Amino acid sequence: MQGAGIDHGDLLLVDCGLEPRPGQVVVARLGDGFTVKRLVHWRGGLGLEAAHPAYPLLPLDPCADHQLLGVVRHVIRRC
Amino acid sequence: MALATVLVDGNNFYASCEAVVDPALVGRPLVVLSNNDGCIVSRSAEARALGIAMGMPYFKVRQQLERHGVVVRSSNYALYADMSQRLMATLECWVEELEIYSIDEAFGVLHRPAGGDLTAWGRALRRQVQCHLGLPVAVGIAGSKVLAKIANKAAKADPSRAGVLDLAVEPDLNGLLASIAVEDVWGIGRRLARWCRLRGVADARALRDMPSGELQRKCGVVGLRLQQELRGQPCLPLVTIAPAKQETCVSRSFSQPVESLEALREALATYLVRAAEKLRQQRQRAGAITVFVRSSPFNGTSLYSRSATVQLPLASNDTGVLLAAALPLAEQLFRPRKPLQKAGVLMQQLQSEDLLQHHLLLPLTLEQQQRRERLMAVIDGLNRRYGRGAVQWAACGLRPAWAMRRSRLSRAATTCLAQIPIVHAR
Repeated sequence: MQGAGIDHGDLLLVDCGLEPRPGQVVVARLGDGFTVKRLVHWRGGLGLEAAHPAYPLLPLDPCADHQLLGVVRHVIRRC
Repeated sequence: MALATVLVDGNNFYASCEAVVDPALVGRPLVVLSNNDGCIVSRSAEARALGIAMGMPYFKVRQQLERHGVVVRSSNYALYADMSQRLMATLECWVEELEIYSIDEAFGVLHRPAGGDLTAWGRALRRQVQCHLGLPVAVGIAGSKVLAKIANKAAKADPSRAGVLDLAVEPDLNGLLASIAVEDVWGIGRRLARWCRLRGVADARALRDMPSGELQRKCGVVGLRLQQELRGQPCLPLVTIAPAKQETCVSRSFSQPVESLEALREALATYLVRAAEKLRQQRQRAGAITVFVRSSPFNGTSLYSRSATVQLPLASNDTGVLLAAALPLAEQLFRPRKPLQKAGVLMQQLQSEDLLQHHLLLPLTLEQQQRRERLMAVIDGLNRRYGRGAVQWAACGLRPAWAMRRSRLSRAATTCLAQIPIVHAR
């Protein structure tokens, strides 16, 4: 997620009380784990876009509204 | 404007908490076990659907669980207590008064707008809890606590209600009350339920409509209040201020029998350390400590059960002081060839930390006393930050064999920075 200023091992501060909006970096449930991606408009709906072009865009299922867990507000980096 | 009472509680609270911090559990059958991995105390909806019963001993259903691929977790009280606090903090914002009734249950009071339907309010509350915490809750709204309990139960039982029911706008209130067995009415114990059944009073509606005099003769004003509540007239006020604790107890059963004095001392030290921590959290000091031990009631030999009490010269919540005072009791209680299955410590004569203590012969100068208090605060801070046991008292022993069995414990995902969930960019 380097494109969004997030590096391996960074600590993310996630606000679960915010309604995620397109353009924001969000944390979502994906398969057996959590993923961090940018929420984007996609084909009339929404999708999750990885900062790295090697990962494909994931269309969001409009019925599974609890997939999105929160919005990344701050990144804390160990120095 | 009339007041409305709401009861909010978590669905399968422990199992739901586990799924919040581990997405691999979402949609899978999951059970949570009690202390020492004993019995099933919480089941996900999927586990319920498999017909796995509540309260079953783990060893009895182990094969059944494995056959169905059920995920098993030990109780992670750090996680549940933290999620509970977050839940209550959210609920505080939605009602005028809140009574925290249990770890996953709270009553609230709010004004009902004239002729108002609170169903939409309940749905919004439910959505916000889902959004803030990822936990499913049920919301029961009515004119009294007893009815709010019933509304909550009905909201859960009927999927078409989507977890919210406002009894004030329920078109078939009589039918709904008639569908609630008298045993399931809040405040009705087993004996009273049997008495009702003998009189042909089998459900909540019949209980509401039975002659008040008869109920009063049987159980006095308690019965009358219950009936008033069923009629929608609130008689049981919210208990919003928790009374100061009179006693604090820490006790556990051992994963295997304790047969040496050394092991008993380690176990008691561990409980005393925890109890002292609790006292400091409650900002209280103990004036006396009772230590108790007992053997297993199931091993065929006669039950061995003893306790001993020590009076402290000066009330304290200093772990070092409590250990020095209470650990010698282990020698009094321990008997060779009496394997112990459970032990505990009870902190008594609790008094507020704010109370000034006067004693002619103070064991420590004021400055020494303050240094000890700072030390305790630092230890508590480190254990909060890096997980319980980060700083440990040597008296508790290393890797004790008697320690509570929690073989399937999940991470302290919300209370320990080193254990928070990991997100992947892929």
